[in-house]
This record gives sequence, structure tokens and C-alpha cells, in this order.
Amino acid sequence: MNTIYLPEPARILSIEPMTALEKLFTLELAKGQSLGHQPGQFVEVSVLGVGEAPISISSSPSRSNGTFELCVRRAGDLTGVIHQKEVGDQLGIRGPYGRGFPLEKFRGKDILFAPGGLGLAPARSVINQVLDDRGRYGRVTILYGARNPSELLFKDELKEWEERDDVELRVTVDRPDDEWTGNVGVITTLFSKASVYPRNTVAITIGPPIMYRFVLMELLGKGIPEASIWLSLERRMKCGVGKCGHCQINDLYACQSGPVFSYAEIKAVEGAL
Amino acid sequence: MMFMSHSSLTAWLDELAGERTLIAPRDVGRGHIHLRPVAGSSEITLEYDRPDLSAKEFLFPHTERLMQVEKRSDQVTLHDRFLEKGQVVFGLRPCDAHGLVALDALFRDREPADAHYTRRRQKTALVGIACPQMWESCFCTSLGGAPDDPTHLDVLLTAVEGGYAVQPVTNQGEALLASAAIEEVTDLSLPDIPRNEQVPVLAADQWPAHFDQEYWSRLGERCLSCKLCTFVCPTCRCFDLRDEPVASRTDLVLIERMRVWDACTAPNYRTIAGGHNSRPLKGQRIRNRYYCKFCYYPKDFGPLGCVGCGRCIDVCPVNIDIVEMLNTVYAMHQERDTVEAEAET
Repeated sequence: MNTIYLPEPARILSIEPMTALEKLFTLELAKGQSLGHQPGQFVEVSVLGVGEAPISISSSPSRSNGTFELCVRRAGDLTGVIHQKEVGDQLGIRGPYGRGFPLEKFRGKDILFAPGGLGLAPARSVINQVLDDRGRYGRVTILYGARNPSELLFKDELKEWEERDDVELRVTVDRPDDEWTGNVGVITTLFSKASVYPRNTVAITIGPPIMYRFVLMELLGKGIPEASIWLSLERRMKCGVGKCGHCQINDLYACQSGPVFSYAEIKAVEGAL
Repeated sequence: MMFMSHSSLTAWLDELAGERTLIAPRDVGRGHIHLRPVAGSSEITLEYDRPDLSAKEFLFPHTERLMQVEKRSDQVTLHDRFLEKGQVVFGLRPCDAHGLVALDALFRDREPADAHYTRRRQKTALVGIACPQMWESCFCTSLGGAPDDPTHLDVLLTAVEGGYAVQPVTNQGEALLASAAIEEVTDLSLPDIPRNEQVPVLAADQWPAHFDQEYWSRLGERCLSCKLCTFVCPTCRCFDLRDEPVASRTDLVLIERMRVWDACTAPNYRTIAGGHNSRPLKGQRIRNRYYCKFCYYPKDFGPLGCVGCGRCIDVCPVNIDIVEMLNTVYAMHQERDTVEAEAET
């Protein structure tokens, strides 16, 4: 009999500091098998002796090569220890868990991404998956907001997306520094600049709870149907397998039916947003 | 009807205690009777009401070692930890066995199965004793149970003159009784236990999706977030996973990954990295606990998350009362129905 709580060892192949608080870890399962995830899913990451936490997968399956990437913000005890790890060290991995983005439903549609802050980490998984299969989708728009320029994640990729003709990227920061020449303001200020054909658009937004309230108003205001707006709910999944109760949102379990939900699925669920 | 005398029961229990871990009602002092492992019948008390704690902890322990991690120089090995020895829980009340139905549905029957719980369940036999009465806070009969309900046990004993009426329920129960001195008697009459008043319980789909904030906040004002209600509950199953260092030397580090009970009524239960809490108010947390029991759990897993044992009523320091809650929610439902019916005419 095997316990469902047993982590698999994974080796750290590289560590890339991204901001003062976030690092990107590239990992490989020690047994060499692929993680086999979908964009939007998460893993339980453990450091034995310290604990375990749910972390979204930041790489897209289309670029896996047997590895996967986690963008980890230093926010507590466990992530503090993860940040001290070095290349060659091991982390424990369980998963992937949860329901990711139903990309097959998005084929032929325009896709509007609206990630805020650390929300770009999971959003990047689905963005790259879409860009690697670009022909299947309509227009791709990315509206990304961060608090200040030093907190922007994946700067190299932002530049790549910026340079592509088939992607419309708009970035904004709440508080600019002296060198910033781009947009200033919260993410919702970008929506008036993006042209959207609401009936043929799927919106994907990932960010902190307060952001959802305002981004949803913008998306609904543009006439995008509720069932075409997709978001990811952050909860404190302890087990990842629907047992422990921590991510329960009424009769939904974010680790099982989510963390990705359409707005139509959760708008009537009190306490979801 | 089968009958076992007091002396036969004592001999049987002593024999069971030799083969397996015997868990039975024991006087732990200050008037408290708990189900605890015992070495033999001499440690057991048969004079007890409803034990203060449910039998849940023997299937889903409050602290359970799930695995041990061993680090030697560069080598890390993980060992699963499972219950090895069989156990008999003797003297639990029918409501506690009923409570396991909820845990079975989640841990054992819902994929992926929890191997630790499943193993314990397989290795555990349940010998219940019918309640001689329904105590003041009991309402099992409102939730499909009864003080003398054999359904979820392996064996049910009922106290009668001179000993116990014996009712094997499962094959495991039959096998367990093989070594017991049992007499077949014809003139055994079982006690008729007076029932408490029925409590109205709304069906899962009748609980309103939009909450009466005022009622739940009022309950929240009293709640101390002490979590006692969830710890004494035979069905509450929230847990946390934690790592505990056991040994730390230069050549060897031992760590145990533990599962510990948690409670959705705890203030920080929902706090995520960065400090956001999606259920910050006590009223929201109490509401979630009750909705989980009567609305979400049955929708998600089948069984209700309450068996009417009444322990949470007795243990609450501020008299939050699940029966009072059920009556209030039912009354609010009736009122809504009346208002809707009037609106239609």
C-alpha cells in the first residue's frame, strides 16, 4: 500500500533570481519521468523537516524536456528555506494536482491574458503553451500589471512577447521608478487600450483576490461572457487530493475542481472570490 | 437471542487483549471516561455514559505518523508508516460507528484512497454497547441513527440482567465471537429506550446558497475559536501536514511527517502566503462548519457530516448548540417558503 502523501525527490537543475523576492527553479524528477502537467495545475513542494506548500507550475508542457519550472516567492518559513537551496539540491514533489485550463475549448478564440503580480507565474505556463501552438488561436493579448518595475517577472520573455507581431503585450506598474517609460497605473487602466471582440474572446486572469474584483468588472464590462472568463483561485491546499478540507469553497474543492474555474462556475458560490 | 454473562465477557476481553490492541472505556480520573488502550478487562469500566471523545481517533488519530524520512550523508530514504497490529474498539456507542461512515466515504472510498486510514479501518473491529438511554444532548434518531443501532458495528452488545445480549452484525463480528462463551436464550427482552424529541434537519439541497449573515454573525460573536467542537466530533476530518524532527546528528537526520487534526473554525485555517484570509470572520467559519456537515459533505461524498452525538453541545464553553442551529435554520426555511408562497398568490 502506498501513501498518497509520499513526495518524489526532484533535483534542482538551475536557479534564476528574478526579483528581490522571487526565484525561478528548474527541476527534474530524480527518476527521470516527466511531470506530465497541464497549464494551471500545481504541485506540493516539500523540504523534508520544514514542511510542504502548494506552488503553481510556471513552465508550459510544450517546453518541458523532462523538466519543469517553479517561480517561488519568499513569503514564509518554507519558501525561505527553498530560496537557500542550491543547484544540485533536492526538493520533494507531489502532483501535479488540480484542473488546469481547458485549452481545447479555447481553440480558434482570441485570448486575453490579464495576470497581475505573481499571477504571471502560473499564467506563463498557459501563455507559452498557446504561443507554441500559435496557429490554433486567434489574437493573443497580454495585459500585465506589477506594483513597480523591479517586481516585473520573466523580463526576458516579456521582451520576446513584445517583439512578436502576433502578440499584443501591454505592461503597467502602479509606481514607476525614474527609468520607467511605460504605462503607469493599476492593471485595469490597460483595458481601454486593448480592443476586444467579446463574443470570440477567452479571458484568463490570475492575480490577488483584490485584483479579481476590478478585472472582472472590466472583462464583464467589455461583454465577455461569464463562461469565457477563466481564473485561478489561490487556496492553502495542504493535501492536494481533496481530503484535508483547507481549500474547500462550499461544495467545491479548489485542489480537485480547480484551482482553475470559469467565472460562470463560481460567481454564485459565496466565498469563492 | 444470544447472551454473554459478565464473567464470559471478562474472559473474552482478556483473550482479545492478548491478540490485538484492545481499546475500551477507561476511567481516566476526574469523572472522565475515555476510550483508551487497555491491557485487560480489569482496566475497563462498564459504567459510563457517552465517552467524552469519539472513537474517531483510532481510525484517524489526532497525530499520526504518515512517514519517516531518514537522511544518512547523501542518502535520503522515505518509509511509509502504517498500523501493523489489529485493534478492537470495545464499548463505543452506535453513533461513533455511524460517524465512520462519513470518514469512509472521504478517506477510503473517494479516489485517491488514503492508505493510512484504509489500513486502520481494515485492521479495526468495532464492538459497540447500546446506549442505556439517550442523554440530554443526543439527537442521533434525527439523523438515521439510534441508541441501539447495530448497523455500522461488527458486534452490538446490549446490557441486560446478568450480562449482555449479543448481536453479531458482520462476518468479522462472527469470527471475533468464536472464542466467546455465548448461551442461546429464549426469554431475553431488550430494553426499550425512550427517544429524544426529533430535530428537523433540512435536506442538503434545501440549505440556502446565500447566507443569512446576521444569524451567523450572531453565533460568531460568541465563538471563541477554541476548536473543541471539531475535536470531539466523530466526523470532522480537517487536517494539516507537518514535519517534526526526531533526531539530528551529523551522520543521521530523522524526520517524521505527521498528520494532525485541524479545524475549519480556526482563525488562520484559510490564511495563504502573504496573509490574505478568505474566511476572516468567526461567523463565516461557524457557518462553514455547519454547512459542511449538512449541505456540502452530503453533496460531495454522500453521508451527512453529523450523527447527532451531541458532544459539541456539551463541550462548547459558550453554549453554541447545533440543535438550536438546526431548529433556527429550519424555521428560517419555513419562513422563506411562506413568503414565497404568499408572493405567488
